[in-house]
Amino acid sequence: MVKEIERVGIPVVHVCTVTPISMTVGANRIVPAIAIPHPLGDPALSHEEEKALRRRIVETALKALSTEVTDQTIFEVK
Amino acid sequence: MKLEVGYIDIRDICFADSSRLEDGVLYLDKNALSEIVLEDKNISKVEFEIAKPGDSIRITPVKDVIEPRVKVEGPGGIFPGVISKVTTVGSGKTHVLRGSAIVTTGKIVGFQEGIIDMSGPGADYTPFSKTLNLVVNMTPVEGLAQHEHEHANRMAGLRIAAYVGELGKNAVPDETRVYETPSIKEGLEKYPDLPRVAYIEMLQSQGLMHDTYVYGVDAKRTLSTIITPTELMDGAIISGNCVSACDKNTTYHHLNNPVVHDLLEKHGKELNFVGIIITNENVYLADKERSSDWTAKLAEFLSLDGAIISQEGFGNPDTDLIMNCKKVEAKGIPTCIITDEYAGRDGSSQSLADADASATAVVTGGNANELITLPKLDKVIGDLSVVDRIAGGFNGNMAEDGSITVELQAITGATNEMGFNKLSAR
Repeated sequence: MVKEIERVGIPVVHVCTVTPISMTVGANRIVPAIAIPHPLGDPALSHEEEKALRRRIVETALKALSTEVTDQTIFEVK
Repeated sequence: MKLEVGYIDIRDICFADSSRLEDGVLYLDKNALSEIVLEDKNISKVEFEIAKPGDSIRITPVKDVIEPRVKVEGPGGIFPGVISKVTTVGSGKTHVLRGSAIVTTGKIVGFQEGIIDMSGPGADYTPFSKTLNLVVNMTPVEGLAQHEHEHANRMAGLRIAAYVGELGKNAVPDETRVYETPSIKEGLEKYPDLPRVAYIEMLQSQGLMHDTYVYGVDAKRTLSTIITPTELMDGAIISGNCVSACDKNTTYHHLNNPVVHDLLEKHGKELNFVGIIITNENVYLADKERSSDWTAKLAEFLSLDGAIISQEGFGNPDTDLIMNCKKVEAKGIPTCIITDEYAGRDGSSQSLADADASATAVVTGGNANELITLPKLDKVIGDLSVVDRIAGGFNGNMAEDGSITVELQAITGATNEMGFNKLSAR
């Protein structure tokens, strides 16, 4: 899906847990997610901590989307 | 570590007033069996059935398959850390009730459970159509949470297997074999010119009822470690899996791991089988990285000349497989991986979710997406109504004539990634 959307000229950020697969299939902007059963959250955290984590993931993804890349790039969530 | 395994060939199983093993015939007392299962208050009802090769019987949804064994001499007991105390096993003497199996079924636990047909075309795709099966059909109490249901079924199957195995304690084996793993130093001295080969066994540990237990420890909470072949034969590793039936390793597979047995067969002749590295398949990327790093580190530490890696399951574990492969290869140690394929029903799609140029030697258990139609059989043990929901089934797969169409994925052991099954291409 990532590649098909990019093919029509829209940049895509792939937020995913298993980044090596994302690299193998050829995504250009990759943001590591938390875990396969809960990519965008972490049930081990409190609600407040989890909300902050979610925001960081989304902000990283938005930053990745607006960053020019020349090669496949992984944007680590800070 | 040295283990003597006495194989007692089971010729028949039947129900009787008292449980015993006589002349290769297992007589089983249903009341005693029921008591063992129902000591868990989470199980409200249990029924026992016998399914023999050639019977017109379909067992589904199958949870686990277990071979009855008993420790006759030496430290520890069967299924250490789970049924017996946690004492290290793998030495002394063990009896195996060869040709028999315990199959657990009942109300479905998770959607990824299997089918065993005892006859017809489906029987060719599962090794458990060739065993004399005691089927344990369990109903949980109302409202039991899924993970508690899985635990109840898993433990009941193991308790029954231990009870049946115990009946063979004083029997005279039909065949006795001795399996031995030398220490690192002994191996080097004894076989200085033979290539040092290890088996890297990947254990399903994705959680959410995709779990394997090592001496009772949940494998997702383990670091990659070393285990000896004979410990596996005493049940050190058991399945707690509700993962796709075709390529999950049941407890029976762990007890009879064909990679282990084939390597032991060649040990001291063509190669020096150094031991087994077990490593998990977790759902966090950091865990995947750490476990595969440790696998490669242990492979290097053991001064291997080669390694065979087997996977369990598919999808994201393909990444663990490839990470293990490429990291071990990067240490200069050639590998061969054993996997299976999800290449689409026509076989034309990409077989694995991940790949790497260093994965040059691959053995496949077959294409799990291949469709097969299973004709109606006279008797169903378990619950046929869920076969459109198990992995490999699909909506509308039950025809009016009673036949069902499924992907091989739904058949227990069909594309096993230890190479336990016999699917081959011409």
